[in-house]
Amino acid sequence: MASKSTLRVPAWIARKDFSEYLRDGRLHWAGGLVLILLLTALAVGWQNQRAISGERAVAQKLDYSDWVSQNTRHPHDAAHQGMHVFKPEPPLSVIDPGITPYVGSTLWLQAHRQSEVKFRPAQDATGLQRLGQLSAAWVLQVLGPLLIIVLGFNAFAGERELGTLRQTLSLGITQRQLLWGKALGLLACLAVLLLPAGIAALVASLWGLTSELQMDTTLRLLGLGLGYGVYLLIAIFVVLAVSAWAKTSRVALVVLLGIWIVGTLMVPRAASDLARTLNPSPSRLEFASKMNADLHTHYQQAWKDNFGVDKRWGSDLPLNKWGVALQVDDHAGYGVTDKHFGDLWHAFEHQQRSQEWAGLVVPILALRSFSMGIAGTDFANHRDFSVAAEQHRRLMQDLMSADLVKNADSLDNKHFAYQADPKLWATVPRFGYQLPGVAAAFQNNLLSLLVLLAVLTISVLLARAACARRLL
Amino acid sequence: MRDANNSWQLFCTVFKHEGRVLLADRTLWLVASLLLALLCYALFNGLAHTQARADVASVVLKKQADQQVKNLDLLNRMMAGKATPEPFANPADPASIGSGMGARYAVLPATALAPVAVGQSDMFSHYYQVTYRSKLNFMYDSEIENPWNLLSGHFDLTFVMVYLLPLLIFAVSYNLLSAEREQGTLRMLLSQPLGLRLLVLAKLAVRAFAVIGLATLVPVLVLLVIRPETREASALALLLLWALLAGIYGLFWLALAAAINALGRSSAANALMLIGSWVVLVLVMPVLLNLVVGQISPAPSRTELATRTRLITIDGLNRYNKLLSTDYRYTDKPEILLPKDGKIEVPPRRKGAYLLQRDVDNEITPVLDQFDRQLAGQQALVERFGFVSPAITAHEGMAALAGNGSRRYMQFQTQVGAFHTQWKQYFEPRMMADTAIVPADFDRMPRFTWQETPKAEVRSDAGLRAMQLLLLTLALGGFTAWRLRRYPVV
Amino acid sequence: MLSAQNVTKTFGETQALNAVSLTVMPGDIYCLLGANGAGKTTLINVFLNFLSPTSGIAQVNGRDVTVEPLQTKRDLAYIPEQVMLYGVLSGLENLDYFAALATGQKQSGVTLLRLLADVGLDETAAMRRVATYSKGMRQKVGIAIAMAKEAKALLLDEPTSGLDPSAANEFSQLLKKASQNGVAVLTTTHDLFHAKQTATRIGIMKRGQLVAELSSADITHSDLEALYLQHMRA
Repeated sequence: MASKSTLRVPAWIARKDFSEYLRDGRLHWAGGLVLILLLTALAVGWQNQRAISGERAVAQKLDYSDWVSQNTRHPHDAAHQGMHVFKPEPPLSVIDPGITPYVGSTLWLQAHRQSEVKFRPAQDATGLQRLGQLSAAWVLQVLGPLLIIVLGFNAFAGERELGTLRQTLSLGITQRQLLWGKALGLLACLAVLLLPAGIAALVASLWGLTSELQMDTTLRLLGLGLGYGVYLLIAIFVVLAVSAWAKTSRVALVVLLGIWIVGTLMVPRAASDLARTLNPSPSRLEFASKMNADLHTHYQQAWKDNFGVDKRWGSDLPLNKWGVALQVDDHAGYGVTDKHFGDLWHAFEHQQRSQEWAGLVVPILALRSFSMGIAGTDFANHRDFSVAAEQHRRLMQDLMSADLVKNADSLDNKHFAYQADPKLWATVPRFGYQLPGVAAAFQNNLLSLLVLLAVLTISVLLARAACARRLL
Repeated sequence: MRDANNSWQLFCTVFKHEGRVLLADRTLWLVASLLLALLCYALFNGLAHTQARADVASVVLKKQADQQVKNLDLLNRMMAGKATPEPFANPADPASIGSGMGARYAVLPATALAPVAVGQSDMFSHYYQVTYRSKLNFMYDSEIENPWNLLSGHFDLTFVMVYLLPLLIFAVSYNLLSAEREQGTLRMLLSQPLGLRLLVLAKLAVRAFAVIGLATLVPVLVLLVIRPETREASALALLLLWALLAGIYGLFWLALAAAINALGRSSAANALMLIGSWVVLVLVMPVLLNLVVGQISPAPSRTELATRTRLITIDGLNRYNKLLSTDYRYTDKPEILLPKDGKIEVPPRRKGAYLLQRDVDNEITPVLDQFDRQLAGQQALVERFGFVSPAITAHEGMAALAGNGSRRYMQFQTQVGAFHTQWKQYFEPRMMADTAIVPADFDRMPRFTWQETPKAEVRSDAGLRAMQLLLLTLALGGFTAWRLRRYPVV
Repeated sequence: MLSAQNVTKTFGETQALNAVSLTVMPGDIYCLLGANGAGKTTLINVFLNFLSPTSGIAQVNGRDVTVEPLQTKRDLAYIPEQVMLYGVLSGLENLDYFAALATGQKQSGVTLLRLLADVGLDETAAMRRVATYSKGMRQKVGIAIAMAKEAKALLLDEPTSGLDPSAANEFSQLLKKASQNGVAVLTTTHDLFHAKQTATRIGIMKRGQLVAELSSADITHSDLEALYLQHMRA
């Protein structure tokens, strides 16, 4: 009996609130704007995703077939020509493109150098790109809370000013029922707007995928739904808390707008600056010189140990040792580059983690990280691809050096005269890269989800405290 | 004359009174201190960022100078017979000097106003190491930066002015008239011989003076004090133009607040409408324009570029296979590493490698030009349609004044490309003809000198943008004056 | 001198004023009586050019208020029912401001304090912030502003509502003094007693129309009450 009425009263309150929002036009204007932007973002994202995916798949195939069908030539030259690998575009980049404009997706695997991504899509765009890229994630993260503020800022304060709050409470409705009812009303508004967008997102991301990828993507979508749901609920309860606490609706509006501006616009930038100041990234010059110095030591050691020479690629090394020398040299470098790049990437991920913790105060940071992670467009995913590509490069390089050791080092004082049998090329396998699975994604981003849930708990408690103490 | 005098008297009376009221109710203090804090933080960020880049540039140039000294020294000792060179680090061999060993750096200096806007300076590099190898090898390196930070953006002065200043202006002006009406003092005021338009103008003037005055004055003063480069005449002109652009941008938002007040709605409605306009003009419009520009003039495919590069490389490998398969001879005859009679044996394999890279460059240049053209096309579209949002006009204008806009970086890349061609033109004949490098050559090798964008161009660009904003502001002013005629006093 | 000639004001379907004509000569104290919504405040707003008449002319000293708004306001002083001032400033500062706007010149502090003393606000009270004032004190500042203006016509909207009897009486004395100085006074009120006490002429408004107009001397208190109720019931 008690449970029935506990649900019914908030539902009535929600229904009344919802019709008010409809009637006074706020839902139409603000909600309409958000919905249009969401659908546009999804449409554009979908179009881009399809174009890019198709192009990359074709390019990857062509690249490998060109590699396999090349003429006879010296294996080292083939390794210098190298092969290209293209990062597959995650299906959910439709919703959250994450850092993809700022990292490229083409890697050129060549001999001697650790491949680094070169072409950043953002460099092919004007300075406007830096002001924001339209994506469903951006709309929900930045404009979602604003929509809730516009709808809910006078949820309590307005009714208090009109006098209807006193009237409602005098009917025996408890503060708790009122709070849940108002929260439900705001939730209903969001549902009405986000449902069509959600369906569009589902269709757009699952289109044309294999069935196992579809399962993976659906789970990821559910994860995203959870994350964004928690975030928007946080917004709802914070708005209701401030509305209950503020004396007038004008004060409530100003305070909420202040929180929104500081929380979604200012702090993310300031936090990024702070992270950069506390843990500055090395300049390219610094990074290169440190790594080169380290490489130099390792190379010296390796050459001394293997060939008893002081100079690397010096004149004392006979040509019939070049195959072995390439092998030794390359392997001496692997550990060093792994360490330096690993440290750099670890620093990047550490910066991101600390911002996730900052999400306790500014939830958008936690959501941004979670959203990118689940969508598969964050740095961890990029790193995974880079590492896999590098492994493939080393494989290619080693296969070429092994062939040289076998066939070129046995020649007398010749090395580059040796031209390999074209069958050698096919021994390098195709680059088969699978995007990391959903389980890994959730594991990596558990912290941000927990932070969001913690903030939700705090905001619900705040709302309840504000209602209990300051409602009238 | 008497009426004009009278109007001026009234204006001053209202002006002084408004100032007193704003100061007494603490709004102005709050807004001014917040603005000051934001400006100082932003300027600090900008100055630190600029300093960091300047430090890197000086390290780079020092490295280049040190390397040259080392090369010269080694070459002299070789000529005197006191040293033998490494095969791949031979200062007499044009193939070595033209590539990594003797490479020259092309550096883009920061302008006087660089701390004002980070712009694209964290995306594009301000220095390149130029060798005779293909452009593709060095043109796409950029500074190491966490992509998350690139995504977040910087808290620089332009961010404060373009995004936050309008909000601070709203805070003091959203209830410009509506508060007087809601309080009841408007009736008291308008029962005096005081025109409503004069009243509004005086109220606006106080806010313009306090908020916009502070916002333009503080950065100018800070830069003049901390950055001596800004005191030079042409830089000073640009600094004042920045202040003008920023000031008019602020006035636009103030005029918008006045226009929305003139509609006669409540204070809360005004606040919502102003925030709505800000969201549309500052947040949504730039994003939408970026989208539209990208659809109209999409970037050519980088995947395609990779494919073409590979095909050209394969061609080249086939074409120069003979040269490339020629073995090095220094293992048998170490004396060929030393120059003799001004000649040195450049290994055929290195010639082949060079020719391959040269051919790649020649073939790929039209493709790269296509990229440059489309980016210039996008840029032109942004400039043409930027008027849809004053935020776009102001943002692009400030980035250009700071020398950190896309256009200057494109110009740098073009000039580096030209220098690259010069560099190749110096070394190709020497490599093909086996000419040795002599100590005197080090001074004759091409050097990179940056041709700065003519200041007049920068000035006229900024001036044009200021004009654009001014026209918008005046149009809003006209609307306000017209609408105030039917303002509902009761 | 105040004059309304066939002034009509319609808001959509409602007619707030219907061909109202009245004249207030210098020295007259004209009192408008009527229920809430009769149109009394609307007429005042028309004289103040806060509303434009749909038809008809409102004049102050022979000048049309819509044609010469600033000049007519120089000749007009207005005290609303609720005198609202700037709460963060003191009574003196408020008077300083409004008087400067009213006369186009800054008045000296001595003059202003004297004006406030004349209306019953001593110096200590004058220096306090208006946010601490009672309704009566605010109205006193309003009167001081009107007096500083030395206008030839005075508009008052329900001046005695919310005032205690002694304050209301003080107020009537001030009005009488003004009319003796040749000021034309138009006031609206619910208070029949003070209307009869203070006014020289009385007008009764009902639903936007002036239904009765008479000289105060020609009627007794009780007859006035009877007449008023008769019109209200009709």
